[in-house]
Amino acid sequence: MAFLQAVIDGLMIGGVYAVISIGLTLVFGVMGIVNFAQAEFLTLGMFVAFFAWKYLGIDPLVGSLISFVLIFGLGVLVQMTIIQRVLNAPPVAQIFVTVGLLIVIENLSLIAFGSDFRSVTTSYQTSALRLGPLFISVPYLAAFCMSLLSGLALWLFTNKTWYGRAMRATAQDPMAAHLMGINADRMRQIAFGLGVGMTAFGGAVILPYFTVHPTVGHQFVVLMFTVVVLGGLGSVAGAVVGGLVVGVIQSVSTLFFPIQLQNLVLFLVFITVLAVRPTGLIGAAR
Amino acid sequence: MKPWIWGAAALIAAVVVPSFLDPAGYPIRVLTLTLLFAALGQAWNIVGGLANQISLGHAAFFGIGAYTSTILLIHFNLSPWIGMLAGAALAALAAYLLSFPTMKLRGHYFALATLAFSEVLRVVASSWTSVTGGPAGLSVPYAADSLALLQFKSTTPYYYIILGALVLICVVFLVIQKSALGYRLRAVKENPDAAEVIGVDTTRVKITAAVISAALTALLGTLYAQFTYFFDPEAVFGIVAISVRAAIIAILGGAGTLAGPLIGAFVIVPLEEFANAALSSRAAGLSQLVFGLMLIAIILVEPRGLLVLVSNGIARLRKGRKG
Repeated sequence: MAFLQAVIDGLMIGGVYAVISIGLTLVFGVMGIVNFAQAEFLTLGMFVAFFAWKYLGIDPLVGSLISFVLIFGLGVLVQMTIIQRVLNAPPVAQIFVTVGLLIVIENLSLIAFGSDFRSVTTSYQTSALRLGPLFISVPYLAAFCMSLLSGLALWLFTNKTWYGRAMRATAQDPMAAHLMGINADRMRQIAFGLGVGMTAFGGAVILPYFTVHPTVGHQFVVLMFTVVVLGGLGSVAGAVVGGLVVGVIQSVSTLFFPIQLQNLVLFLVFITVLAVRPTGLIGAAR
Repeated sequence: MKPWIWGAAALIAAVVVPSFLDPAGYPIRVLTLTLLFAALGQAWNIVGGLANQISLGHAAFFGIGAYTSTILLIHFNLSPWIGMLAGAALAALAAYLLSFPTMKLRGHYFALATLAFSEVLRVVASSWTSVTGGPAGLSVPYAADSLALLQFKSTTPYYYIILGALVLICVVFLVIQKSALGYRLRAVKENPDAAEVIGVDTTRVKITAAVISAALTALLGTLYAQFTYFFDPEAVFGIVAISVRAAIIAILGGAGTLAGPLIGAFVIVPLEEFANAALSSRAAGLSQLVFGLMLIAIILVEPRGLLVLVSNGIARLRKGRKG
């Protein structure tokens, strides 16, 4: 029964991992760039939701929308001013520009917010639903549902709207997309904004059960890499499955290993997938 | 002037300088750290510069060096000189094993894999408290000034030992660059597929470079531990503190060149130390922020580094004068 409980917990948190990681995979899919600063946007999303809760009294689950909008805007700006310039640069420049971004964002938040740990209090924080012998924690369930909704919204956007199709066209062949009258630069801005916005959203919805501080992103770095590599870098559907799988692996592994070694288990999965099938185990590799 | 004259002049200056400085003062500490990080950048340069394999995980080997020698010293009273070799051997083994899953990877994928590797070691060091001291870190026990135990009150002996390490790593870099291995690495860098076609065993070439680089990095980890007397997982396994810094030092100066990491270290380390001393009390993180901004700026302005930027600038000036 402990095993089943761990699987349920894993699925709940895995849904959030999926949303967080979709951002990383989306940016890679459209631009071929791994954003090493991705986890920092999660931190920013958490901070936005925290301050919305503290000063405006907005529940983090609603505040997640504010996080998404603000970080989307920030992402568009970052794309226009920084990432755009290294699109055709060698990988070393692309890698270190986002690493530089990581350092800048982390230390800006350290300067602005201090190194304190902050958390919110909500009415449903400690409640759980009972299903026979199993429990589902309400904040976990809420975060999972929000993730599900946002994933659905993203799917509708990319598949049913002109902008979404134009973005996917840009990912497949920027030149051809350009010839069809698509502004490829604009599409990349939207993609980067969406990418970091989704991650910020994921950060906000876990706020009811997660503490925020400027280096909170570190805990998600290996995790996000594992999710996207498992699902195939660039594949959104892969990231969803990868997120759920990683959530379950992580949760179940705590039954056998000390909790601190979760990352070690994830790394073994990550490195094995990279070695065996770098294009990912799940989803269509592009 | 020929390059070797520059090298000889720099070396003589480096040997003479400490006699003008207070052996317990701040300037010689900064200089010693600068040499240490120049050496680290040069060790990174062997894989990152010559083979263009962008490692974001050199902290893994640095940390292995620091922890191995310190743990051996604490528990078995083993001299750090021997512990240093043990650490280097362990780091070489780790690099060898890591190379199996990562050698086929290029660019972003390689960077991802190496970064994840060092992150995992950091987590292990933080959680395996009985051996590593956990998040609180380890202190190197100080007994008395002793060359055998690699510990001194004054900074000057460290300065010369670390200078020796820097010279050693620069020589290794030069030898590799001028050897057949260096030409093969360059072939791998320019076009891995073409290198493979003309008969370069690219996997073997890359593994050789990675193992050498890892072992040298571990040596520096031991020296760092002995020099600072105290370290925690973040200090030796940190992404920004070690891995990114090693890479930036090489890239800022000019990756793949002998002088690159030296120039990079002499720009970055004193600047950071100065910023820390001047600002730290007012705003934690400000010097790191400057560090990050510099990184973005150099990549956007001239990704080939300061060396190219300066020589281009001089060329433009000369042209301007003629015209």
